[in-house]
Amino acid sequence: MLIRLFLIVSILAPAFVGAQDMPLSQVLIDGEGWEKVVDGFAFTDGLCTDAEGNLYFSDVKQGTAVYKVPAEGGDAVEFIKEKPGISGLQWAADGKLYACVAKEQRVICLTKEGEETELVNEVRPNDLVVTADGDLYFTMTPTKEIRRIDSSGKMTVVSEGVVTKPNGITLSRDQGTLAVSDHGGKYVWVFRIEKDGILTHPENYMTMRTPVADPEIAKGDGMATDVHGRYYVTTAEGLQMFDPTGRMGGVIATPDPDSGLVSVCFAGPDHAYLYVANGSAIYRRKTKTSGALFFEEPKPAEVMPKN
Amino acid sequence: MQEKRTARAAFVAAAISLFCLSGTVAEDYKPGPDAMEKEGVPKGTVTQYTWKSEIFPGTERDYWVYVPAQYDESKPACVMVFQDGGGFVRENGHTRAPIVFDNLIHAGEMPVTIGIFINPGVVPAAKEGQEPRKNRSYEYDTLSDLYARFLLEEILPEVGKSYNLTKNPDCRATCGNSSGGICAFTVAWERPDEFRKVVSHIGSFTNIRGGHVYPALVRKTKEDPKPIRVFIQDGENDLDNLHGNWPLANQQMAKAFEYAGYDYKFVMGTDGHSGRHGGAIFPDTLRWLWRDWKSLKP
Repeated sequence: MLIRLFLIVSILAPAFVGAQDMPLSQVLIDGEGWEKVVDGFAFTDGLCTDAEGNLYFSDVKQGTAVYKVPAEGGDAVEFIKEKPGISGLQWAADGKLYACVAKEQRVICLTKEGEETELVNEVRPNDLVVTADGDLYFTMTPTKEIRRIDSSGKMTVVSEGVVTKPNGITLSRDQGTLAVSDHGGKYVWVFRIEKDGILTHPENYMTMRTPVADPEIAKGDGMATDVHGRYYVTTAEGLQMFDPTGRMGGVIATPDPDSGLVSVCFAGPDHAYLYVANGSAIYRRKTKTSGALFFEEPKPAEVMPKN
Repeated sequence: MQEKRTARAAFVAAAISLFCLSGTVAEDYKPGPDAMEKEGVPKGTVTQYTWKSEIFPGTERDYWVYVPAQYDESKPACVMVFQDGGGFVRENGHTRAPIVFDNLIHAGEMPVTIGIFINPGVVPAAKEGQEPRKNRSYEYDTLSDLYARFLLEEILPEVGKSYNLTKNPDCRATCGNSSGGICAFTVAWERPDEFRKVVSHIGSFTNIRGGHVYPALVRKTKEDPKPIRVFIQDGENDLDNLHGNWPLANQQMAKAFEYAGYDYKFVMGTDGHSGRHGGAIFPDTLRWLWRDWKSLKP
């Protein structure tokens, strides 16, 4: 009888789970709003985290260092000094910190002790992501390019002219898909990462909400991914969340709407906090999910329990 | 042992709660006699194929072609395209379209029709352990002519290599459930010169990717409605979520069709987001959709 009931249930269970939504209520916690983490910078950017959940960031306009805030909170300290003009940061599986130095038109990597190696120069890097295999992808916003630097240091152009102003960049949790936000359009584009690291099959997979006054330009910027495969992108309209099939799940209001929202990452205890760079300050809020960490072994997205 | 029993009990409780949907208790919709094989009714053939698309770059998908026993290659056959085709083509599924086609074609209640049952595409993973990129929402929920072009430029020419398919838009129908339902409508809305018959069950005329605007668009065509025939079905217990409210959205569609003077039929049941009700009434839906088929020239 039990078996029969099981069969009936499995046949009658909703066939079109695709229409079920993945709302913000699966992520946000009642009563937990944005809290300010740091303030007093000119233009915070480049948010990233390490295995312990510490937060690293830059001040792309007036900063002189890579800054660090401990996972549990506290003041920002200069983690690596004399590194101005960084717009993208990411810890990788080799234990090194990779950086887009927009100001100097270079991509570099740094050891924890601050030893620098230059990967490429005379480029226009904005933001980057590094796969567990050590492939670095970075956006070149003004030239409509996405470039790859493989683990041997060789640089190739892997997308050109697809995204109007490629800006934020992230991976699916299984690292098989690369997602790039458009600062000059309204889509987040996805690409398949082939075995040899090239990008194929671009698709304007996610449609971002745009300002009423500027309906074609969402100002897509920094991106992040959570363990359930949802994508987050900072935009003129706030922090937009998309489910793994590219459907909008909601828009989280910008903490300080008078300043732009430019970078996002999961960090803090258990990587369960969303951090955003919002003008002079950085804010965070606790969530029910946690961030996908690309320096870890790729995993399939965790399936959300049914509503 | 104790643990096992507890787990079982919890499962049974969960199973029972599945039946107890909020609001009105749903009727028990089941496939009727027209969805059962009947003696003396010739059975069509169903063949499975795969397709790699260029309009949806990198995607691969299965599709099935149903060819009725009455098909005569010297005469163009009508065409009906199904989204999420794998669910519609199954002979023990919610709709059992091939059996319904066998019975209705045999009874002269619909024309000789080739059924094309297409699954949504996926971009397969490049490496082991990765998941395919699911393209269903992109293909079905987007308001554009892309899916119509996919049918017109890829699938129909491919199936047309083997079968004599009609080019008469009045003899081309499309059908789907949920996002496949709004997709069926979008195909005819975008290309009424090519497709003019639509069946939508539990259609997602909600804001998954902007589909909530359709009632307003339909109303603006009053006095000059598009030459399409639309059947829509929904249930009182259908979804109410961040994308929209399905029962209200379908009522808005029905009212818009009525206001703007469309050839439409709306059936509201009591079920939730399931293909059961649409499947149960599918034979009557086809009778309505093809009611004047004898006056058409495929």
